[in-house]
Amino acid sequence: MTTSDTVIEVAGLTKRYRETLAVDDVSFAIEKDKIYGLLGRNGAGKTTVMSILTAQNFETSGELRVFGEHPYENARVLRRMCFVRESQKYPDDALPKHAFATARLFFPRWDQEFAERLIDDFQLPSNKRIKKLSRGQLSAVGVIIGLAARAEITFFDEPYLGLDAVARQIFYDRLLEDYTAHPRTVILSSHLIDEVSNLIEHVIVLDRGRVIMDDETDAVRDRAANIVGDTAAVEAFAVGREVIHRESLGRVSAVTVLGTLTDADHRELALAGLDVGPVSLQQLIVRTTQHAAADAATDEGALR
Amino acid sequence: MNRTLNVIRMQLINRQTYIWIPLIILAGSFVLSLLVYSMIPGDVPKYGGGSQAPLWYFLAVGVQALTLTFPFSQAMSVTRREFYLGTLLTAGVTSLVLTVVIVAGGLVELATNGWGVNGWFFYLPWIWESGPLGAAFFYLVIAMLFFISGFWSATIYKRFGATWLTVVLIGLGAILVGIAWLIGRLDAWAEVWTGLVTLGSVGFAVWGVVVAVVLGAIAYLTLRRTIP
Repeated sequence: MTTSDTVIEVAGLTKRYRETLAVDDVSFAIEKDKIYGLLGRNGAGKTTVMSILTAQNFETSGELRVFGEHPYENARVLRRMCFVRESQKYPDDALPKHAFATARLFFPRWDQEFAERLIDDFQLPSNKRIKKLSRGQLSAVGVIIGLAARAEITFFDEPYLGLDAVARQIFYDRLLEDYTAHPRTVILSSHLIDEVSNLIEHVIVLDRGRVIMDDETDAVRDRAANIVGDTAAVEAFAVGREVIHRESLGRVSAVTVLGTLTDADHRELALAGLDVGPVSLQQLIVRTTQHAAADAATDEGALR
Repeated sequence: MNRTLNVIRMQLINRQTYIWIPLIILAGSFVLSLLVYSMIPGDVPKYGGGSQAPLWYFLAVGVQALTLTFPFSQAMSVTRREFYLGTLLTAGVTSLVLTVVIVAGGLVELATNGWGVNGWFFYLPWIWESGPLGAAFFYLVIAMLFFISGFWSATIYKRFGATWLTVVLIGLGAILVGIAWLIGRLDAWAEVWTGLVTLGSVGFAVWGVVVAVVLGAIAYLTLRRTIP
């Protein structure tokens, strides 16, 4: 798995709080200059993993390497990373321009012109204290720092809270444009899976502190299909396949089946007059997560 | 090193905390003291402890240096060590500014014989017994001690929570009471007071440096595993 392009390696990473296991034996690798989606429900461990990778938090056990070194108290490694979190705190007296001027001091690849353009794009008032900004404007401060820092690895943890649809689109557009011009590694954690699904090349899904999916986005999309049509025909096709979701309305049913469809499958579907549709990334992840949860529940049931 | 110096600029975003409020406290307590002095009849020398007020405030500055700026420093990918050293340097620089203001005020007092009303706000004989430089050293050390105490308390709070902070503070109080008990038990209060007087303000400040170094090291160890 490890190649010369690997910038982050994590093996058996575990974070235990007194009662709970926030991160449970997580292993993955992040490659250079790709955009990753770190997805999962609230409390799945996304923020904890990102905090540990940026040495803001500490692992209980396990191995981690960023640019080949442990990031803790390691300025050489840390200065190449930028972590924008949803609930970032700023100095009390700080205006947005103070925050940006400080970021300029610490991020070697900071682009001031780009920052100014983003301030315009997000219509951020620069002479109002950060404390007094609206939720969306506060998010914009973080987003601007994350983008203009051009750090070699940038983490965005739910960066869009309070941003309206237009502002979110500006974020996605600028991220993609600037990524194309200045490739770097981006790790984006988000609830709005379908909104970011065109952006991310690789998906890592966490559920209850464990990795339940780690694959290229395209491969993930191929993993399942939606079959729609006459209930009897749909059920006949579904026999012997793993169905992760089922819906029916009158005589029409839709099932989501796991597994890539073969040519024979496609012929069978055409003969039966069934429609095949792609599964949205969001649907697939929601279904898989529910599925994993159900499995976990049965496991626990069996143990008792 | 550059990044450590940049932490000073990050801390000084809070200009109000570091510069304006200490100066306002000093000016405010100065004006109030002069008003009080002018109301006291007779030409006996009038001493007040008002110039200590901004020194006490450095306790709060220490608290704010951690609570307001540490989380932001982490977002700026600054190591805890860089943050701590830069923050101590900031405290050193601002303490020095305050010290210079206080000592300059004391020199004016000496020149004007207590602002013409024989009232002494900056100049206190015990602190100034070794001259203005001795007094400056004393004020600088006391300000840093207050700062480090505030910073350490805030770090304990951030890392272990309010309960442990209370436990530590009560524990320190218990140790002080224990020492007082021991001195009383040994019937040594007289020796202790004479010792303090012969030690003088500079000797006292030298011990202050020792305490500051120990406390500073403990504060750093506490910060090393603190999560923003």
